[in-house]
Amino acid sequence: MTDWEIVLQEWPRLASGFGNTLLLFGISAVGAFLLGALMVGPLRSRSKIVRIALRSYVDGMRMLPFLIFVYLLYYGLPTFGVKLDAWTAGLLGLTIYHCAYVAEILRGAWDQLPVGQTESAQAHGYHGLRLVRRIVLPQLVLNTAPVLGNQLIYILKDTSFLMIITVQDLTYAASSIQSMYFVPLEPFLIAIALYWAISLLIEGFVAIVQGIAKERGLART
Amino acid sequence: MTAGGFQMLLDGAWTTIWISLIAIVSGVPLGFVLSLIRVSRFPVLSQIVVLYVSLGRATPLITLALFLFVTLPVFGVNIDKYTAGVLALTLNTASFNTEVWRSAYLAFPQSQIEAARAMGMTRALYFRRIMLPQMWYAALPSLVNEMTLLIKASPAIAVIGVVDLTRVTNRIAAQTYEPLPPILIAGVMYILFIGVLVRLQRHLEKRAERYAT
Amino acid sequence: MTRHEIVRAVRPVVLLFVFAVLITVTLTPLAGQAASLKEIKSRGHMSIATEDNYAPFEIIKDGKASGFTNDVVAELKKYADFEIRQDILPWSGLLASVRAGKYDTAITGSIISEERLRVFDFTMPTASAQHYYITRKGDDRIKGVKDLNGLTVGVQAGSVLLSRLPELAAMLEKTGGKLGKVVEYTSYPEIYEDLSNGRLDYAVNAIVTAQNLISKRGDTFALGKAVSGPGFHAYPVPKGNEDLLEYLNGFITHLYKTGKLAELQKKWLGRAFPALPRQSIKSVGEFKMLTKAQ
Repeated sequence: MTDWEIVLQEWPRLASGFGNTLLLFGISAVGAFLLGALMVGPLRSRSKIVRIALRSYVDGMRMLPFLIFVYLLYYGLPTFGVKLDAWTAGLLGLTIYHCAYVAEILRGAWDQLPVGQTESAQAHGYHGLRLVRRIVLPQLVLNTAPVLGNQLIYILKDTSFLMIITVQDLTYAASSIQSMYFVPLEPFLIAIALYWAISLLIEGFVAIVQGIAKERGLART
Repeated sequence: MTAGGFQMLLDGAWTTIWISLIAIVSGVPLGFVLSLIRVSRFPVLSQIVVLYVSLGRATPLITLALFLFVTLPVFGVNIDKYTAGVLALTLNTASFNTEVWRSAYLAFPQSQIEAARAMGMTRALYFRRIMLPQMWYAALPSLVNEMTLLIKASPAIAVIGVVDLTRVTNRIAAQTYEPLPPILIAGVMYILFIGVLVRLQRHLEKRAERYAT
Repeated sequence: MTRHEIVRAVRPVVLLFVFAVLITVTLTPLAGQAASLKEIKSRGHMSIATEDNYAPFEIIKDGKASGFTNDVVAELKKYADFEIRQDILPWSGLLASVRAGKYDTAITGSIISEERLRVFDFTMPTASAQHYYITRKGDDRIKGVKDLNGLTVGVQAGSVLLSRLPELAAMLEKTGGKLGKVVEYTSYPEIYEDLSNGRLDYAVNAIVTAQNLISKRGDTFALGKAVSGPGFHAYPVPKGNEDLLEYLNGFITHLYKTGKLAELQKKWLGRAFPALPRQSIKSVGEFKMLTKAQ
């Protein structure tokens, strides 16, 4: 059997790995975005305690490698009696880690908004969650679409680290076909092509959002 | 944790540092050269650069490291795990750096170029004397940001056996069967390295703002 | 979308496809060929691969290599007329590198499996690799193989332990049970970690490695019974390299004759294995015959 035939025969394994990658990516991307959006307001809160606590959390996540964070969640927590299964640890890790980045991106964009706008909205009775959801967030998202798109691609790539805590993602599938049948090249070519395809889709999505931004006159650069 | 364990952590940290350094030092100039090819719109080469950048930014580092380590020997290229690790990190970071340099180039004020041309400067001359020094300043914060991303992604090379700071925690846990202490210490060490770079990045951003045109 | 836009979007994909096909078609013939014994002798060195973390065969303590394989390689260096160049790598990619010709053979704790016999010949075995189950000490649920019914097991991905699990499944079916959930890991330290914290109910490993674990952590783990037929640790040589295979067999026979093999087995593996097959194993048929469950 030629190498390509072996790989084609094993396509269920690749499909399952690909499906897992998509699932992990989708759930944690949505989760990270929601959590990050919820965090932006409190990040700029007037309460010093809240601000400093969230600030340390965001800075901590931005200075910690993702794999070490996941190791902590999966192998470190059992020492305290908390035993997460691989998927939970993976999803939690991806979401908690990346929502810090999303929050930081959105915060940076909020700081660029005209102060007067936020103040007048508050004067009109928009506070807290309503302020964020109705007035601020749509602008932030439209303004930072490319950067958020990059973050989505980082989330996608970080899913591959989860193979180390036994989540059977796409890279794991390619690697296990490679080690079982000794076909080094083909599985990885397919895996790389699939990652590339997803990232092209993400970039397409970002282009659409930027189109909307241009319509509303909110595009920068 | 034994004293031997601490020594292993330090060795792992050193491995992470030197491999990251080589990748950074190679990746920045490589990205620069590639971005030049890209903006020059050279017929076939610039298309290849576009392809490379697109692929390089989309491929996870673990996948790239495994791919290089396991597949290159098939083509007769005998590389050891350290070379494969450095190569994976370099190729990955160069693809991001190409875009950073390209943005800096595109954002360069047209007015200065026109002024230089009006003075009769050749393209090569004003690129070297006028554009490059300023592009360098503008690109620096993003380049340093990319360096922090490189260090944060560097644990990926542990899958091909490079005993970096992350893989060392594995080895210590295999001896002591207590995973938490080495993971925590490794985490702190990473935060220290990256923290230094992030400080540097913030400083550079402030400086770039001041000199921005 | 205009035709221009479509072309622009599709072009990189087409380029990539053409590139990939070109690579696989043109460059694969360039794949390194493992050196024959003649070539090894003429170039003056043999290159071997060894795993970095497979006690008691390969141990790295505080940065230095030791273990059964380390001593065997020392003996090989004495026995050979040429230089032995050793590379220490992790398991992933080790056998693929040998097959690709990057190394002439692997002197490591590798175990014979049917998938591997597709591309490798194996030297005469140097230790038994029968699979046993490992449990947490004091876990009274598991007193014999039939109690493993439906429980969660951890094994290393891409390993023989994984590919011979069907033998355990067959054993369980005989007593009216079935194999439970199988979780695959990149390496064993993580498997033992998850066994001790309860994520796994049992792990499967070869007898030598299992006994080594119990000797160090008998307070946490206990050795169970056999979950497969006989198994063997042997050194793989890419197929078609009979001379090298016979050379290595000669080396192992030398170790038998001088009593060195039994000595090293007792020192590192806990006991000598006098009843191993004294021939290379080159085909799935031979292997199946030698490993029929008793």
